[in-house]
Amino acid sequence: MTNVLEASDVAVHYGGVRAVDGISFALEEGRISGIIGPNGSGKSTLVAALTRLTHLTRGELSFAGARYESVRPASIASMGVARTFQTVRLLPDLTVAANVQLGHDARARRDRPRGRGLPAPVSQALDRTGLAEMAHVLPSELSYGTQRRVEIARAIVMAPKLLLLDEPTAGMNQSERRDISALLRQLRDEGLTQLLIEHDVQMMLDTCDHLFAMAQGRLLTEGRPADVVADARVQEAYLGKGWKAHAGDQ
Amino acid sequence: MSSVYDSNLVLIQSALVAVLLALSIQVPLRLGVFSLAGVGSYGIGAYVSANLVLRYELGSIPTMALSALAAAAVSFLLGVVIYRLAGLYLAMATIAFDLTVAVVALNGGEWTGGPVGLFGVFTDLTMGLLFAVVALCLVAVHVTEIGRLARRVTTVREDPELAASVGINVRAYRLTAFVVSGLVGGLAGCLNTLTRSAVGLQDVSFHLVVLALTTVIVGGALSWRGAVIGSVLFTWLPTALAFVGDWQELVYGAIVVLAAIFLPTGLYGAWCSARRQFAVSFVGRRREAAVRARLHQGNVDKEVAAS
Repeated sequence: MTNVLEASDVAVHYGGVRAVDGISFALEEGRISGIIGPNGSGKSTLVAALTRLTHLTRGELSFAGARYESVRPASIASMGVARTFQTVRLLPDLTVAANVQLGHDARARRDRPRGRGLPAPVSQALDRTGLAEMAHVLPSELSYGTQRRVEIARAIVMAPKLLLLDEPTAGMNQSERRDISALLRQLRDEGLTQLLIEHDVQMMLDTCDHLFAMAQGRLLTEGRPADVVADARVQEAYLGKGWKAHAGDQ
Repeated sequence: MSSVYDSNLVLIQSALVAVLLALSIQVPLRLGVFSLAGVGSYGIGAYVSANLVLRYELGSIPTMALSALAAAAVSFLLGVVIYRLAGLYLAMATIAFDLTVAVVALNGGEWTGGPVGLFGVFTDLTMGLLFAVVALCLVAVHVTEIGRLARRVTTVREDPELAASVGINVRAYRLTAFVVSGLVGGLAGCLNTLTRSAVGLQDVSFHLVVLALTTVIVGGALSWRGAVIGSVLFTWLPTALAFVGDWQELVYGAIVVLAAIFLPTGLYGAWCSARRQFAVSFVGRRREAAVRARLHQGNVDKEVAAS
């Protein structure tokens, strides 16, 4: 297996705050990798660093073998990296279709096919995310979970080599989470490498092939999802020191 | 008809120039760049064109081209220095630029005519050419309001981080905003000089900042149609308000305040909202109901399946 993305000793410091503090890891091609960690562990900062939206304090990044820690954020899309954000980032005055088309614009100069209607990749992305019926609706008319699906559609229509998903199922109910998990696995089977950040451990166990655990800006451990979740250090990071003794007292 | 046209010729010329001046503020605003440097560019275009005609006896077309390019070049350099600023800080910096242009105009010696200005700027400019130039600018701006480019412009304004993530070079778009603002503002200043045959300190004064901004706010900030509506309104308003005599300024101010409070998206924005509301209320009610029903049923089905 080849690595799509490699990060070496990546650090992001804000003054005295070490949001990400010397992390090294690699994302294997065709796998869904996940990052878990308690709030404030640096997961979203790491994604911002990987997409060049945040300046690196130190470290190296390479994508498909080429270093990219100095490229502009706008060049990330043309390299083949698409992402969703931790909070919904849709344009409120554009319809669902137009929001998804924004992703398509990144790879195609032609605005629409010669005939009428949406470009085929946009229609396919809407179909795959179950949004075809809502193509001409404004985001404000949709539930939070459905808005997140629009973000995923906007990302996959960019035909990326690597998809970074920052809490894509936040605000969704269980059945919607299962649908998204199935969609991500289907995309994985088609060869799309993904990095998923989520708090829902069950979703991570069901979806990911490989898991990283972070705490206080550092990588605690990595490996098979079940092993990482069972790791005592990971449980301590989530539940605090001495949680076992405390649980025993109960 | 012809007599109406002839008697309003000066107002028509003023309105056409005002449209371009308003666009020089509106184009950056649509990209989220709160720059008022278009007024300084207007002054540069006005004085450069006067010098080109008086010293080198150029015709109207080369004068327009060179004046607009000179203003665009200065605006680009300004953009390189201050494009990282945002919001009120950017507005302040660009107002400082406008005031600097005014100081240069006052102390420019024989190049600007100082407090007296420059007179006798006669060229071969015709009304047909004036209409054609303004129409060309409107078509160019219209292209940025449709399709792919419109989506990208909106994204740069609304969410620069999102814009970068979908491959948009936000810095390039913002610098382009400065260049286009300089180009259009410079052209407006040039056309004003060529239609009036003179240029003076009134063409670099602060009231132009207020005029351009209120034109865009009242007309509508997000489309060239708003700039046209605002320009026509504020060009003819003083004439229409002649009957109130000395109270004219007060009525003018009241209109601006009321528009800012009750029409936050301007007259064109209000028209668009009303049209959308009409479409939802009457034309699209059946289609909307069908979509809502499907959405609701879909959620119900999923909950049933989950349980």
